[in-house]
Amino acid sequence: MQWLDGLVQGVLLGGLYAQYALGMALMFGVMRIVNITHGDLMILLALIGITLASTFHLGPWSVLAILVVAGAIIGWVLQRAILNRVVGADPLPSLIATFGLSVALQNAMQQIWSADTRSLRGGGIEAASVQIGPLFVGVLPVIVLITATLLTGGLDVVLRYTRFGRALRASSADVEAAAMTGVNPKSIYAGATAIAVAILGFAAVFQSLRATVAPADGPFQLIYAFEAVIIGGMGSIWGAFIGAMVLGVSQSIGFRINPGFGILAGHLVFLIALAVRPQGLLGRQ
Amino acid sequence: MTAPLLSTHGLVARYGDFQALYGIDFEISAGEVVALIGANGAGKSTLLKSIMGLLRVAPEMVRFEGQPVGGLQPHRMVAKGVAIVPEGRRLFTGMSVEDNLRVAIDHAAPMRAGGWTLERVLDLFPMLREMRATPVQSLSGGQQQMVAIGRALLNQPRVLLCDEISLGLAPKVVKEIYRSIPSISAAGTALILVEQDVSLAQSASNRLYCMLEGRVTLSGKSADVTREAIGEAYFGGVHAVA
Repeated sequence: MQWLDGLVQGVLLGGLYAQYALGMALMFGVMRIVNITHGDLMILLALIGITLASTFHLGPWSVLAILVVAGAIIGWVLQRAILNRVVGADPLPSLIATFGLSVALQNAMQQIWSADTRSLRGGGIEAASVQIGPLFVGVLPVIVLITATLLTGGLDVVLRYTRFGRALRASSADVEAAAMTGVNPKSIYAGATAIAVAILGFAAVFQSLRATVAPADGPFQLIYAFEAVIIGGMGSIWGAFIGAMVLGVSQSIGFRINPGFGILAGHLVFLIALAVRPQGLLGRQ
Repeated sequence: MTAPLLSTHGLVARYGDFQALYGIDFEISAGEVVALIGANGAGKSTLLKSIMGLLRVAPEMVRFEGQPVGGLQPHRMVAKGVAIVPEGRRLFTGMSVEDNLRVAIDHAAPMRAGGWTLERVLDLFPMLREMRATPVQSLSGGQQQMVAIGRALLNQPRVLLCDEISLGLAPKVVKEIYRSIPSISAAGTALILVEQDVSLAQSASNRLYCMLEGRVTLSGKSADVTREAIGEAYFGGVHAVA
C-alpha cells in the first residue's frame, strides 16, 4: 500500500515540477536558451507574492492572478532587454548571461528579503485532504496537478492552432527562414519568455503554499526543471510534463525506501534516463 | 519607361573581411522576369540576401518603389512586399504542408486584388492538395520546392526572389515548376530567378544579368543576348553589354 501511496504522491509532486519544467522546455525548444535564472525567477515571484499577500491581506488566488501577470511582464522585459542580445546559434553567450543574472538576482533578493524562509498562507487549503479508499490525498496537490495538466494542454493548443504558435514552431525549426517568411523572431521570443515566466507565477504560488521559499532556493528548483525537461525530451511540451511525473514518482518512491534517499533517487533516475535514452522519452532522435 | 519596382545602386556587400559584391546596379519592374546567372561564388545569392535584409547594406543601396529599404530586417521586407524562395528550400521541419503555408499567410504583406490564397496555391501545385496534413520532411524534393514557392507566394509579394529553385531536382520536376512562372508574373509580380542552368534562365526570363566575381559583366534582353556574349561574361573577359 505504501508503494501505491508513493506513486500517487509522486504524480502529485510531478504536477509542481511540470510547472517549473514547461517554461524551460518552451524556451529551450524555441531559442535553444538554457535559462539558468529559471528557478530564481520563480523564487522572485514567490517572494513578491508573499510580500503582497501580507501587505494587502490578499488570498492565494488574488496573489496568483497578480503573479501570472507580473511574470508575463518580467519575462517580456527580460527577453527584450537582455536575452534578445545574446540569443543565437552559439548557446554559450545566453548561458553566461543567464548564469550571471542568476547570481545577481539571488544576491538582490537576499538584500531585499534577507535569507529567511517564508511561506504563503492559504487559509487552510494547504493542509486539507480527502480520503480515497485507504489513501489520503491533499487537496492542494490535486489542484496543482490539474493546473499543470491544463497549462500543458493549453500551451499545446496554442502551439498547434494559433498564429503565434505557428510562428513559434517555425522559428524553432529555422529562425532565418521564419524571418524570411515575415515572422519577427525577436517579438516571438519575447512572447515565449513571457509565457514561460507567467507559468512560473503558478509554480511560485503553489511552492510557497505547500512549503517555504528563501532567496537562495532557485538553483534547486532549476535542477528539477532541468531534469524533467531532459527526461521528457528537450523542447517537447508533453515530454516536460511526463518527465516531471517520472521525476516526482522517483523521488516519492525513493523517500519511502529511505527518507534520505528521495532526492538522490530522482537524480539517479535522471542519470539512467540520460544514459539509456539521451533524446528523452518523447524526444526525436 | 516606368520607374523600376525594385533597384540596387552601387550595392556593396561583405562577409566580414571578404567583399562579395562590388557596386551592383540592378533593377526590375512590375511583371518582369529577370534572371541572374553566373558561376558559383559570383555573388548571385549574396545579391538576393542583400536585398532581403539578411546582410547589412546601406539604406540607399536598395530601393523599393523609390523608397530606400537597404538593411531593413527580413520580416520588414516581407511586410513591404518582397518575398524569397530560399536556396535549399528551408521549410519548417516538423510542421505540416498547410502549417508551413499558414505561417506565410499569417505574416503576409497587404493583399492586393487577385492576391494569392491557399486555394490558388493548391490549384497551381495540385500535387500538394492531398498532402496538406503531411509533415514537410516526408515530401519529395520537388514537392518541397513547391511548398517553398507556395509559402513565398502567400506572403503576397510584389517582388519574388527565387534562389536556385531547380537545384537538385529531376528535369521533369524542374519543367513542372518552371511552368508555374508565367501564371505568377501574370498577376504583376516581378520575379528574380537565380539559376545555374543558363539556357533555362534565358528561356524563362525577359531580361538577364550575368555576374562574375561580385560584378555584373553582362545585362540585356534575354532574347537578344548571344551564347558567345554569355560565355564571355560568365567566364571573364571584356565587359559586354548586349
